[in-house]
Amino acid sequence: MSSESAPAVPPFAIEKARTRLFGLTLDECIHAFFGGSACMAVVVLTLITVFLFREGADFFGKNHDNLRIYRQAGLEYVDYIRQQERDHTALTRYLSDLRLRTLRYLTAEKGLTVAQANARLAGFDDFAGRYGDAVEPVRGLVSDLTETATAIKTKYTVNEDAKEGRRQLLAEGKKDEAAAITIQDVDFKTELAPITGTLPLYKEASATFSKNLGEIVAGAPVLPAPELQARMVKFQELTRDYLATFPETLHALEQWDYAKPVPFTQAFTAFFFGHEWLTASFWQDWYGVVPLLVGSLLVSVIALCLAVPLGVGAAIYVNQIASPREQKLIKPAIEFISAIPSVVLGFFGIAVLGQTLRAISQVAWLDWIPGFPFAERLNALTAGCLLALIAVPTIFTLAEDAINNVPRAFKEASFALGASRMQTIIRIIVPASLSGIVSAVLLGLGRVVGETMVVLLCAGNRIAIPDFTAGLAVVTQPVHTMTGIIAQEMGEVVRGSIHYRALFVVGIVLFFLALLINFLAQKIVRKYRISIG
Amino acid sequence: MSLPLHPFAAKPSRARSAEKSVFWIFRLTTYLVLACGAFVFGDIVVKGSGTIINGVKTTDYFPYVTNTFIFESPESLYVFEHDGKKVEMGDKDYRAFREAEEAKAKKDGRPAPKFKADSYVYSAGGIWPCIVGTVLLVVGSMTIALLLGVSSAIYLNEYAHDTRIVRFIRLSILNLAGVPSIVFGLFGFGMFVIFFGWNVSLLSGWFTLAFMVLPVVITASEEALKAVPKGFREGSLALGATKWQTIRSNVLPYALPGILTSSILGIARVAGETAPIMFTAAYVVRDKLPWEVDKLGDFFFQGVMALPYHIYVVSSKIPQNEYTERVQYGTAFVFLLIVALIATTSIVLRNKLRSRYKW
Repeated sequence: MSSESAPAVPPFAIEKARTRLFGLTLDECIHAFFGGSACMAVVVLTLITVFLFREGADFFGKNHDNLRIYRQAGLEYVDYIRQQERDHTALTRYLSDLRLRTLRYLTAEKGLTVAQANARLAGFDDFAGRYGDAVEPVRGLVSDLTETATAIKTKYTVNEDAKEGRRQLLAEGKKDEAAAITIQDVDFKTELAPITGTLPLYKEASATFSKNLGEIVAGAPVLPAPELQARMVKFQELTRDYLATFPETLHALEQWDYAKPVPFTQAFTAFFFGHEWLTASFWQDWYGVVPLLVGSLLVSVIALCLAVPLGVGAAIYVNQIASPREQKLIKPAIEFISAIPSVVLGFFGIAVLGQTLRAISQVAWLDWIPGFPFAERLNALTAGCLLALIAVPTIFTLAEDAINNVPRAFKEASFALGASRMQTIIRIIVPASLSGIVSAVLLGLGRVVGETMVVLLCAGNRIAIPDFTAGLAVVTQPVHTMTGIIAQEMGEVVRGSIHYRALFVVGIVLFFLALLINFLAQKIVRKYRISIG
Repeated sequence: MSLPLHPFAAKPSRARSAEKSVFWIFRLTTYLVLACGAFVFGDIVVKGSGTIINGVKTTDYFPYVTNTFIFESPESLYVFEHDGKKVEMGDKDYRAFREAEEAKAKKDGRPAPKFKADSYVYSAGGIWPCIVGTVLLVVGSMTIALLLGVSSAIYLNEYAHDTRIVRFIRLSILNLAGVPSIVFGLFGFGMFVIFFGWNVSLLSGWFTLAFMVLPVVITASEEALKAVPKGFREGSLALGATKWQTIRSNVLPYALPGILTSSILGIARVAGETAPIMFTAAYVVRDKLPWEVDKLGDFFFQGVMALPYHIYVVSSKIPQNEYTERVQYGTAFVFLLIVALIATTSIVLRNKLRSRYKW
């Protein structure tokens, strides 16, 4: 049965000559064209990934260099001592807070005038003054070392720039000009000698500091109220703890070695777990995403806390309780809210909402609410309120869809068993549509996390991890977010610099966070969907 | 005690009143949302419409009336004291006024008068370049998005079977819809501005925005295509038409109104987003209008001013006071009005369409 023996197929009687392009008929071409367009979504997603990584991937190498020079130029060494000084400053802040409390106690409870109260606090002030001055020897050392270390770093950077310049000239074939550039490699060992040489000096200074502080704290004044005295005791304890860290610092300084290699993983950990985002600083730049991530999440949580009850409540109301006339009115109205551009909402936050919220917080009888009164006009709460308004339409639309998809028979069966409307809604409809509602909330979260303009304009833009020890009052602190930092700093950075790359890496984090949220939402819908049968 | 109307009427009970109060809570939450939206809208309309009304000026050429706020470019505002009165002037007027005063003083032999003016950037003049820029961005990006989106939807709805690849494409579309707009901005910056070397330009902005609304357009178009009954296609195919002929003559004409109306919502999105155009297409300030270019090619490679970006600039980069407030609220009002008009058109048209096509 070979093909040769098969009878030739007679040409089809009404065969039409078809135009062919690359061997494809017109219809196949059209098919291919549409197919190609359909792949566009995949292509765009791929392109986004590729280009974010193309610009961002180099960050980790640069960050590694950044951290390496931090160690080699002795900045790390100086920071050990500086940390000691900073801790002391934190303690003096505690002390001044205590003074304020005591003053308030004396004027409010004891009925003294401010002058009298201040006179009563003279002993305290003397104590605080001596406490504050005790750090002087260490502080002097730090400021000297800072200059030396910065000088080494600058020398290194200048040298690297010169090398880069020579490389470019060589690449362009300008040998003479390249040879004219003088390059002096930094010998870190000799350069660092003046810094490491101060160790005995530091030992002496910290010993005096430690001794003085111990003596000063032992003679702390007694405060008039038991509550205040408890704070003073706490302060003494804190100081003792602080003094106990001295040997540790000294040990770290003795062990410190500029040549100890910085592991490459540190470039990653310094980014993903770094607590500081500090750029364009004279001392050392830090690119730690944690404050931004925490800010983003805090704002989103506030927004969702407001938007979930409102959005889901409205969805239940519109779908189950409202009359058809009301439905026809409310649905487009909420859709209309979703069309308000975020930048307009951000402007509204700056112009109206921030001030209004602050004014409300300063109403006397509302001060039992945690965080009230607050002084910052723009903070996480302001941004959160506006983001809630953005999230509500998303949550509403999707949740309403989910509730609408609950089979009618569920409701009818419930009524037939004698359940009231409320029972049906709470026990039947909501549980049956829960997967849809949860995914609606997740998609709302995705919308809020990715929102830029509102947080850029209204979140206060302070780059610091909010102080969670304040309890619920944390919501009234200004924060900075991942989206906000990109929008704010992208326009100002030098192309190709480490800072520029860092912003792209923040974009990558944001991109994958959004994908993750989206993925979860789809997974939940698919896995827990309830259907008849 | 009044008797119930009939023996089967509901008797008041605790459960019933509890139900009622719970329903009221739901009602209140719903109306709270609406009230918040209305408040934002109302505040901007009330404070912003003043700027527009004050901008109405008569002219001596056709159409004899114009609006300086809408049809002029932004200028710096100068506030100074003159003859014991507070005077506010835009940049051009202020210069002319100063020159006139100085000339007058020279003629009279007085020393030249000194002006101590406070200046506020962007607080005088209007927002015409921003409106033009936004319109250009919307038109360009929606053209690209519609071309790609509609073809994509045609493939998914007409040609594709439920294969693994198609499911993957659908998944990508869903995920693309969730990508934050600022990430699109970064991507557009990395790809179009830097890699393609288009710099900050209309073209970069068009593609960035088009990719951003692509999922919206695809979903909307697919809905519209799905709404066309199967019989239309089958009838055509049975008469011997090819697939493409069927789609062209029996599917697209009926789906097109639906595609267009639903895509209007995409327009609102494109017009409203700031983050993607911040680094790809928008300039803080630009003297020339987009059509004032030397050659046609330059048209595509120029940055433009855009309304949303202008709002960002005037609300964050200049202080809040009585002089700057006008332009801030005015811009927000015009912008909100444009977006609201687009959204309303979309909603109204869609409702009309729903009642018109019933197969």
